[in-house]
Amino acid sequence: MDIFSNLWLGASTAFMPMNLFYGFIGCLLGTAIGVLPGLGPTATIAMLLPITFGLPPESALIMLAGIFYGAQYGGSTTAILINLPGESSSVVTAIDGYQMARNGRAGAALATAALGSFFAGTVATILLAVAAPPLAAVALNFGPAEYFSLMVLGLVASVALASGSLLKAFAMIVFGLILGTVGTDVESGTPRYVFDIPELYDGLNFVAVSMGIFGICEILRNLEGEHERSVGVKRVTGLMLTRQDIKRIIAPVLRGTALGSFLGILPGGGAMLASFASYAMEKRISPNRAEFGKGAIEGVAAPESANNAGAQTSFIPMLTLGIPGNPVMALMVGAMIIQGITPGPNVISDEPALFWGMIVSMWSGNLMLVILNLPLIGLWVKMLTVPYHLLFPAIIGFCCIGAYSINNSVFDVFVMAGFSVIGFALSKMRFEPAPLLLGFILGPMLEENLRRAMLISQGDPSIFVRSPLSLSLLIFAVVVLALVLSPSISRKREEAFTE
Amino acid sequence: MKLKRFMTIAAAATAICVVGLQPSHAQDYPTKTVTVVVPFAAGGNTDTFGRLVAEELDKRLGQRFIVENKPGAGGNIGLGDLARSKPDGYTIGMGTVSSNAINQTLYKTLPYDKEKGFAPISLIASLPNVLVVNPDKIKANNVEELIAFLKTEPGKHTYASSGVGTSIHLAGELLATKAGIKITHVPYKGSSQAILDVVAGHVDMMFDNIPTAAQQVKAGKVKALAVTSLGKADLLPDVPTMASTIPGFEATSWHGLFAPPGTPPEIVEKLSKEVQAIIAEPAMQEKLKAMGVTPVGNTPAEFQAFIDKETAKWADVIKAANVPLQ
Repeated sequence: MDIFSNLWLGASTAFMPMNLFYGFIGCLLGTAIGVLPGLGPTATIAMLLPITFGLPPESALIMLAGIFYGAQYGGSTTAILINLPGESSSVVTAIDGYQMARNGRAGAALATAALGSFFAGTVATILLAVAAPPLAAVALNFGPAEYFSLMVLGLVASVALASGSLLKAFAMIVFGLILGTVGTDVESGTPRYVFDIPELYDGLNFVAVSMGIFGICEILRNLEGEHERSVGVKRVTGLMLTRQDIKRIIAPVLRGTALGSFLGILPGGGAMLASFASYAMEKRISPNRAEFGKGAIEGVAAPESANNAGAQTSFIPMLTLGIPGNPVMALMVGAMIIQGITPGPNVISDEPALFWGMIVSMWSGNLMLVILNLPLIGLWVKMLTVPYHLLFPAIIGFCCIGAYSINNSVFDVFVMAGFSVIGFALSKMRFEPAPLLLGFILGPMLEENLRRAMLISQGDPSIFVRSPLSLSLLIFAVVVLALVLSPSISRKREEAFTE
Repeated sequence: MKLKRFMTIAAAATAICVVGLQPSHAQDYPTKTVTVVVPFAAGGNTDTFGRLVAEELDKRLGQRFIVENKPGAGGNIGLGDLARSKPDGYTIGMGTVSSNAINQTLYKTLPYDKEKGFAPISLIASLPNVLVVNPDKIKANNVEELIAFLKTEPGKHTYASSGVGTSIHLAGELLATKAGIKITHVPYKGSSQAILDVVAGHVDMMFDNIPTAAQQVKAGKVKALAVTSLGKADLLPDVPTMASTIPGFEATSWHGLFAPPGTPPEIVEKLSKEVQAIIAEPAMQEKLKAMGVTPVGNTPAEFQAFIDKETAKWADVIKAANVPLQ
């Protein structure tokens, strides 16, 4: 079998002591920056890029890749412990993970995140090894029309993200969509809602918005006093998972992995979309859906598996087509070009040691991360006992550094501050932030692809139903919509959400 | 008489001061860390060139040259920062065809004084674009056949770009105006998704930066019809130039180093000489050529003349094609 000889070649590259060492450095750095809110893998990889000039290409890329998936692991830690997503893809993890921490189950939540991520990473690595080229072909079938239909499905499904009033969920999605229109219109180049502020030409920054709405807002709510002691998290009981926990997370992990692997292949925010989508799906189909939002372990297991699987499979378009699906991949492409390797369809045949070495290193990297993270759980949980008068200023400080470092822009710090106030007001009125963020992510993609598809079809809307892929996505969206709106289900839904 | 002598001495002293002291100032430069503003995101071409050159300046001048990415608004944010920083040589920055020759016409307002501009240091590299077509959608083997084919079906065919007003978009507009054809522009955010959709056949063709496009051409996913530089490109030696069909057709993406307006000319000269020497090094030449880039390196005066020519050319294209101003 070809695949075994390929994997052998990959293993012999990835397990070279030097490459193991750089992989470990990458994972360690990635975890550290993942834990620090806002300081993401993009900024870190950019800063480290010059260091990689002197390394052999395999070691350089293995280290950079390690930073990327290390950040996926680390990002969930702060999301769970202090409701501050360290990474955009761990925004949904914060919803139930933080509640688990408040119930004294921080250890179990962290273990679930680590183990779910490891499982998903393993599966996605196998998938990459076996099916990268055919999967890349699937991604090619997604043109503007198909993307549009996928986004419609995503928006409809996002209603499920909200607990409480359907109307409020719709309102939040629409608010998110509107925020998404800020910036330069891609089709005409016309600036919209920018008020002559150059920093708004590229739209509001997602990381700054989500740090404000989730992280800083949480601090505001704590300072208000009403939660003061309740956040002090109940005594941590048991760091490890119980047998019942394991039973509950198996199915969500499997579903999250499958969904994440698929969405990760699509260019444009795969891992983040994956975590949102899998959370929404679990909330619909889990037998324990009543617990969602109050500390359901499934609400941690599914999105964490999905975002790690998505992070891994987002390498597929980069490695097989030479096309980066997200900013981190763009940096990887930059690193490859500096090393004299031009990413493209020929990398697999021209640079087999590099290609297969990277694939095997993904698995070894994931293994390192689990080994690194499980013992650290005890240490992280101790963080919760740090008194607020020390913890809060530190968090705010890190958030400001993080928001600034995205684009080296003070403006983003103000965006974060502004959205913490908006988030606070919304939480006072019992509006949920998750649908808002989803609308904010999906809105621009929805609009761009709609208009792009219409341009390509010369204004003929039948383009959306002529493509079988697009048609089936739209039909699926209609079915989901009907389910959400049907009286019997919406009654059940309300029962589920009223305490 | 006495006064005259005094004047002569004073003039001589002043001259010595001006000639003698100023260069010694520049000779000392740099005495502390220099910031290199890159007005685009990390990982892109401009960032890569900026980091490669900063790394070498670092070694040659014995001070840290630190790259700082200030992306946003098509490079305007970073250049606005550069324009506002102290013109002492300790803040310099990268600029491109978009930020320093196209935006001048494309944007109604810029966050810096258009008239004052910048003090050009040296052009670093220029990157040809290549016209690629999806072979299933466009039945043409060269630019002449393409134009003839597009004339039979006006407005029916599409070309992708990395965004409104980018050199990739304007190359398409240049083709449309020069050849008198009608093609529909489909803008994307960045070129990676655009070329993906050309490979997949959702969009018919595109002018793309040569390194990424060359890989797709070699893999047979798209057909290269012509390169947009005046000379042939090393990465695609068999592909003719656009200019061989449409005389004078040139649309390259270039990247250079700038200082804020008012920076002492001695410092600008010194940096320019260093940058030219860095680019002339065989190792750097090799590195840049492998990336499909034409290394340049020129004097501030040559660079300024080049920028003026480019600004005028793209202003004409933007006006002729009625590209909406931002």
